[in-house]
Amino acid sequence: MNSSAMASPPGPPLSADAPDLSPAAPHGGGKPPRAKGGNIGLALTLPGQIVSVLVLIIPLLVALYMSFTDWSPTRGSLFDAEFVGFENYSELLIWDTRFLYAVLRTLCISAVCLALEFTFGLSLAVLFMRSFRGKSLLFSAFLTPMMILPVVVGYIFWMLFQSSGPVNQILEFVLGPDVALEWFRSAPLAVTAVIITEVWHWTPLFFLILLSGLNSVPENPVRAAVILGANPRQVFWRVIMPTLKPVIIVAFVIRAMEIIKLFDEVFMLTRGGPGSATETISLYIYKLAFNDFQLAYGAAAAFLVLLGALGLIHLLLMPVRNQLLEVKR
Amino acid sequence: MPSKKLTLFQAALLAAALAVVLFPVFWIVMTAIKPPTDWNASPAIWMPSQPTLVNFKTLFDPDALKEYGVGGVSQSATKAVFGSLLASITATALSVLIGLFAAIGISRYGAENKSTPLVILSGRMFPPAAIAVPFVIIFSNIGLTDSYVGLIAIYVAATLPFSTWMLKSFVDDLPREIEEAAMIDGTSRMRAHLTVTIPLIRGGLFATTMFIFILNWSEFMFALVLSYSNVSTIPVQLAKYVTATAGTLYGVQAALAVLAMAPLVVVGYLIQGHLARGMTFGAIKQ
Repeated sequence: MNSSAMASPPGPPLSADAPDLSPAAPHGGGKPPRAKGGNIGLALTLPGQIVSVLVLIIPLLVALYMSFTDWSPTRGSLFDAEFVGFENYSELLIWDTRFLYAVLRTLCISAVCLALEFTFGLSLAVLFMRSFRGKSLLFSAFLTPMMILPVVVGYIFWMLFQSSGPVNQILEFVLGPDVALEWFRSAPLAVTAVIITEVWHWTPLFFLILLSGLNSVPENPVRAAVILGANPRQVFWRVIMPTLKPVIIVAFVIRAMEIIKLFDEVFMLTRGGPGSATETISLYIYKLAFNDFQLAYGAAAAFLVLLGALGLIHLLLMPVRNQLLEVKR
Repeated sequence: MPSKKLTLFQAALLAAALAVVLFPVFWIVMTAIKPPTDWNASPAIWMPSQPTLVNFKTLFDPDALKEYGVGGVSQSATKAVFGSLLASITATALSVLIGLFAAIGISRYGAENKSTPLVILSGRMFPPAAIAVPFVIIFSNIGLTDSYVGLIAIYVAATLPFSTWMLKSFVDDLPREIEEAAMIDGTSRMRAHLTVTIPLIRGGLFATTMFIFILNWSEFMFALVLSYSNVSTIPVQLAKYVTATAGTLYGVQAALAVLAMAPLVVVGYLIQGHLARGMTFGAIKQ
C-alpha cells in the first residue's frame, strides 16, 4: 500500500494517448520501441476491438440513428420509422421539464455526494496516517461497503429506512418518541435517503484513493516545512494538499462518471418516487424506454446525457492536465 | 510523514465511523437469520429471537417456510444463482483473456495503433440505459434477447475497458528488458509474451480476474432489461422479490441479498490492495 500514486488522467479519450506519467513505469513513459512488432500489436488488440465494435459501437450507431426517428416497438421495423430530424432533441431541451429536472437533480445529488464522500474519505485517510493497533483489520473493515453490489446496498438501505426500521428507531431514541419519519413518502427525505446510501457505499473509494495518495507524499518537503516553522495545519494545506491535487481530481472524475449513471441503488430504494422526486437521468431514460416504450425519444435523451457528461469530464480534468504535463518535465 | 498515536478524540471518531460502516451489514445478516415472526415486528427487532437458516432454505425450496405457517416465495432462486454463476464466470474469463492480449498489445506496441485505447474505452462513457435501448432492438432482431449468449456478450464488452486498463498497468510495471532477454535467447516475440510476460504478471492477472468478476456479478440493468423467462441473475431476482412481495418476505429477501454479497466480500478482501487500481483504470496504483 504505498509506492506511486498518479499516472495519466484516467477515463476515456483523454487518457487514450496521454503519456503514462507513473514513476513506477520502467521507461518513464518513453515511446515503446518501434520494433517489427507492429503486426503483433495489432493482432493482440484485434479481439478487443472487434468485441467493442460489435457490441458497443454498432448498437450506439443504431441508437444514434434511432434518436432521429419516431420509432417505437409498435411501429414495426426500425427502417419503417419516420425520420424526424432533431424533433426529439428539441422536445427534450425545450419542453420536457421532467428531463430537465432529472438532469438538475442528478447534478445536485452528485455534487452533495461528492462533497460528503470527499470530506469523510479524507478525514478517515488522515486518521489512518497515525499508528494504532488493529490498523490493517480496520482498513479492511472500512473498505467493506464498496465490495457490496449496488442492488444489495439499495435493498439494505430500503430496509433500514422503513418506517418501523432501525433508522427511525435510533432517531426516536435520540430525538424523542414521536419521530416516525416516512422516508419514502416525502420528497426531501427520499432524496436524503438516496444521498446517505450513495455516501455510505462510495466513501471507501475516496478513503482508499486518498490514503494511497497520502502515503506517497514525499517526506522531505514535509520535513523541510516543519523545520522552517510551519505548524501542522500549514503543512497539511500548503504542502500535502497541493501534492495530492492530481489524485483528488482523478478520484472526483471517476466518481462523477459513475454517479451520472446512478441507477441500481435508486431503483431498489425508491423507484424514483415519491412522484418523480428521486428520478435520476438513468432512471428517467429507463422508464421512457422500458415502461413507456418511447425508445427513440429515450435514445435521444441518452445522447444528450452523453454529450453533457463528456463536457463535464473535460472541464473537471482541465486543471490537472497542465499540471500532469508539468510534473513530467 | 511522521506517524503519531491516535488521540482519544480521534479514536472515538474512528469507532463511530466503524459503527456506521458496519451497521447496515450487521442488519442484513441479522435479518437473513430471523424467523418469520421477527421479520416485520414494530419496533424492529435487532437480534433474532431464534436464529434460523430457514430463509436460505426457502430460496431453493419455496415450501420450507411451511413449518412457520407462512407461504414461501413464488419462484425459487435456484435459476438466478446458476444464471449469475454462468454469466459472470464465462464473461469474466472472456473479458480477462481478450483484455490480457489487448493490454500487452497496448503496453508493448502502443505507439503503432493509437485508436485502440479509444475504441476500447469508449464503452465506459455511456450511461447503461443508453446502450440498453439499441441492444433490445438488435437482440430481438437476431434472436439474442433473453439468452445467456447475449447477456455474456454485453458483460464482456462492458468490462473490457476495466480488464484491459488494469492489466495494462501491471504489464507497464514489468521491465521490457525481461522479454528482450528471452528473445535474445531465440524465442519469438509472441512466445516471449506467453512464457515470460504472462507468468510474471500472474498476481495482477488474479486481481484483475477477481475485480472483473465483482463487476459482472454486480451488474443489474442489462440483466433487468434483457431477461424475461430463460435468463435470470441474482440482482434481478432480488428486485423481483422486493416488487412482488411488497416487503412481506423480509427474511427471504435478506437471505438472497446475503447470498449475493458474500462471495464479493470474500473476493474483495482478497484483492483489496488492487481495488483502487481497478476502479480508476489503473491510474492509481497501490
